[in-house]
Amino acid sequence: MISRRTAVIGFMAGVLLASRSRAAQPQLPASSVQRVTFSADIAPILFRNCASCHHAGEAGPFPLVSYGDAKKHARQIAEVTRLRIMPPWLPEPGEAKFTDEQRLSTEQIASIGNWVEQGALEGNPADLPTLPKFVAGWQLGTPDLIISAKKPFRLPASGGDRYWNFVLPVPIDQTRWLKAIEIRPGNKRLVHHANILVDRAQSARHRHKDALAGFGGMDLGIESEFFDPDSHFLFWKPGTVPYVEPEGMSLRLDKGADLILNIHVQPSGKPELITPSVGLYFTNKPATLHPMLLQIENDAKLDIPPGEENFIVTDSLTLPVDVDVLAIYPHCHYLGKNIQGSATLPDGSTRSLIHIPRWDLNWQAVYRYQEPIFLPKGTTVTMRYTYDNSAGNVANPNHPPQRVTAGNRARDEMAHLWLQVLPRSVNMGDGDPRMALQEAVAKHKVEKDPLDFESHYNFAAMLQSRGKLEAALAQYEAALAIRPGDAVANNALGGALLAANRVDRAVNHLKAALQNRPDYFDAHYNLGSALAAEGDFAAAAEQFRSAVRLNPEDADAEANLGSALAQIGQLTEAIAHFEKALKLNPEHELARENLKQVRNMAH
Amino acid sequence: MRRDGFWFFFVLFEGLVLLLSMPYSQGQAFDLSGKPINPLTYSSGKPVILLFVRTDCPISNRYAPKIKQLSETYGAKATFWMIYPDKDESAASIGNHLQEYAYKIPALRDPTHVLVKRSQVQVTPEAAVFNAKGELIYHGRIDNWYDSIGRSRPVATSHELADGIEAALHGTPLASKTASPVGCYISDLQ
Repeated sequence: MISRRTAVIGFMAGVLLASRSRAAQPQLPASSVQRVTFSADIAPILFRNCASCHHAGEAGPFPLVSYGDAKKHARQIAEVTRLRIMPPWLPEPGEAKFTDEQRLSTEQIASIGNWVEQGALEGNPADLPTLPKFVAGWQLGTPDLIISAKKPFRLPASGGDRYWNFVLPVPIDQTRWLKAIEIRPGNKRLVHHANILVDRAQSARHRHKDALAGFGGMDLGIESEFFDPDSHFLFWKPGTVPYVEPEGMSLRLDKGADLILNIHVQPSGKPELITPSVGLYFTNKPATLHPMLLQIENDAKLDIPPGEENFIVTDSLTLPVDVDVLAIYPHCHYLGKNIQGSATLPDGSTRSLIHIPRWDLNWQAVYRYQEPIFLPKGTTVTMRYTYDNSAGNVANPNHPPQRVTAGNRARDEMAHLWLQVLPRSVNMGDGDPRMALQEAVAKHKVEKDPLDFESHYNFAAMLQSRGKLEAALAQYEAALAIRPGDAVANNALGGALLAANRVDRAVNHLKAALQNRPDYFDAHYNLGSALAAEGDFAAAAEQFRSAVRLNPEDADAEANLGSALAQIGQLTEAIAHFEKALKLNPEHELARENLKQVRNMAH
Repeated sequence: MRRDGFWFFFVLFEGLVLLLSMPYSQGQAFDLSGKPINPLTYSSGKPVILLFVRTDCPISNRYAPKIKQLSETYGAKATFWMIYPDKDESAASIGNHLQEYAYKIPALRDPTHVLVKRSQVQVTPEAAVFNAKGELIYHGRIDNWYDSIGRSRPVATSHELADGIEAALHGTPLASKTASPVGCYISDLQ
C-alpha cells in the first residue's frame, strides 16, 4: 500500500550569505574627535560589508564602491547603519556563531556617524583599501546544467509584496548528485529571497492547473509517497554566495524530479518581467552523510486576536538521538516580532540557537553555524515566537487588525523553526537515526494536536514503516475516529491489518475505502490480496481486474490477477496476465514462476 | 596618424568636460533643454505641486504609480512638476528615467537646490504644495506607506499630499503643514 506523507515546508533551501571577499580589517579611530576619512576609515567598512550587494548589477539600488558613491548617500548610510537596517542581518550576536555574519560593530557604526558629522571627507586616496574583485555571472563558474523558468513572472508596477512559484523540470535521465545549486533570481533588485524545494513526485504539477506556467503562494506543500529525508536548505537572498555542500553531503536528484523555486518580490514602481534560472553543479560522489530537516512548529496554536501585541507561540521537541545542528531557518510572516530558538541539554543547561529580537520578513534567511552545534539525545529544542497583531505593527497586513490564523497567504501566519541536523548513529543496529527523529516529530504532533487527522495518519504511516505494526494500527484507528469515511485511511488501515494477518477486519476497511472512492487502485489491489488470503479467489480476481483497469502499467496487479485466475482454473487468461506482467517488468519473479507452473498445468 | 587620432579624441573630451562644469546661474531651475524655469510663476491661477525625486532612490521610484495617479486625478486643476535635485544627474538620464517609469509630468533639474529650499523639503520622495497665491501650504510625505526606511505598510492609511492638494484647491484648513517623509536625504547631494 502507499503511505502518503505531507510536509508543509515554509520554503527553504541551502546557500548562504557570504560576502564575497574580504578587505582589510577597518582601522577605527581611537576616539570620536579623531578625524575620520572615507579612504582610511569608511571604505574598509563599506567594501567589506556593503559593496558585495552595492555594485553594478547587484541587488543594492546604488553602488558603494567609491568616495563619490558614498558621499551621495552619506547621511542615509549613517542612518540605516545606526538603525541596523543595513547591512540586513537579523540575529542578535550570541554564543552560536553564524557563517558570513553581516553585522557592523558598534565602533564601525559610530565611525560612520562621525564621518558624516565631520562633513564626509575623502581623506588621502592612498589610504584606500583594494576593492574586492567581484565576479560577474555564475559565481561558481559555468554550471553543468542551467534551467530557466519557461514563463516569466509579470510583476506589476504597484501593489503589495508578491510570492510566486516557478516549476522547473530537471532534464536528467538518471539519478545525479549535486554539490551545489546556484540560484539566479531573475532580477536581484526586486527579489527579496528565493527558495528551492525538490519536488520528487511532481506533486505541484498534480495540485496546480498549468503548474509549469507558475503559480502564486507564499509557502508550499510537497506531498511525498515515501520517506524522503534528503534535506538541504536551498536558499538565496541578496548578497548570497552559492553554497557548496560539504564533502559527502551531496544532494540526490532523480529523473523526473521538479525544482520549485519560490520568490518573494516587491513592486519597483514600473512593470517588470522576472525570469529566474538555476545552475546545477554535479558531482560523481553520492552522499555518505545524510542530514535531515527537523521542523519544530505550532501552527495549530496560531489564533491571534486583533489588537494583541504579544501573542506567544511555543513548541518543544525532545531529540531521540544525538544530532549535530548545521543550520537554522526560522519562518513566520508579517506579524512575527521576537523569534527565539533554544536547546535545553540533558544536564539542564540551556543554549540559544537563534534570537531575532526584531523580526522582518523582508530579510528572512537560512543561517548556517560556523561550527555544528552538538545536541545529545534527550535535548529539548524549543521555539518561542512572539506576534504583534496590533495597528502599531506597521507591517500588519490587515488594517484595522483582524483575527489571524495559520495559513500560507501573506495575511495568514506561520510558526515554524527548521533545523538542518546530522543525526549521529550510535549503534549500527539501531537503524537509520533519521527514522527515529521523524517518528519523534510525528508522535509529538499527535500529542500536540490529538484531533488532527493528518497527524495521526502520518504517525501511523511512520510507525508502520518502522515495523511497529500494533502501534500503527492504533494510530490509523485514531485517524479514522476523526474522519470515519476517509478512503485513504481506510485503505491504509486495511493494508496494515492484512500485514498483521487480521484478514476479516482488513476486508471491512478496504470495502469502506472503495465505497468512498470506487476508483481507488490501492484499495482494489489490497482488497484483492485480502480476499485471496481468505481463499475467495473469484472475488479476488474481480478486485485485481478493477486494479489493472485503473492502472494498466502495474506489473504486480497483473501478476496477482494471473494468480487468482489460475487458482479458479482460468488458465488461458491467467497466462495472458502473467505475460503482461512480464512485459511490464521482465524481472518479475513471481510472474515468471507462476507462468512456468501454469504452463505445465495447461499441458 | 595614430597620434593625431588621439589628439582629436582628447580635444573632444575636454570640450565635454567644459560643458558639464559650466557654472549654473544661481537661483534657477532648468527644464531638460537647459532653459531656466520658475515653476511657481510659470502658470498662474492654479496650485503648483512639486515632487522631489532622484533616479537612484528606490523609495522614490516605488512611488511612481502613486505620483502618476495623483497627477491624473488633479492634473486639470493643479500644475505638477517632477523636480530632480541631484546636480550630477544629466538631462539625458532624467529623460530616460521619465520614460522608464512612464511619467507624463514635466521635469525640472534643481542643481542649486533653489526649489529644495523654497519648498523646505529634505528627502526624496517628498512633495510641496503651493496654493494659487504661491504660498507653501504643505510639504512632506506623499502618504504614510513607509514608516521608516526599512518598514512599510502593506498600503498607506493616510494621504497627506492628496489632503494638501484638496486644501490648496478649496481653501480648506489642513491638520498639519508638514508630515515627516521617509526616503533618501537631499542634503547628501550637496
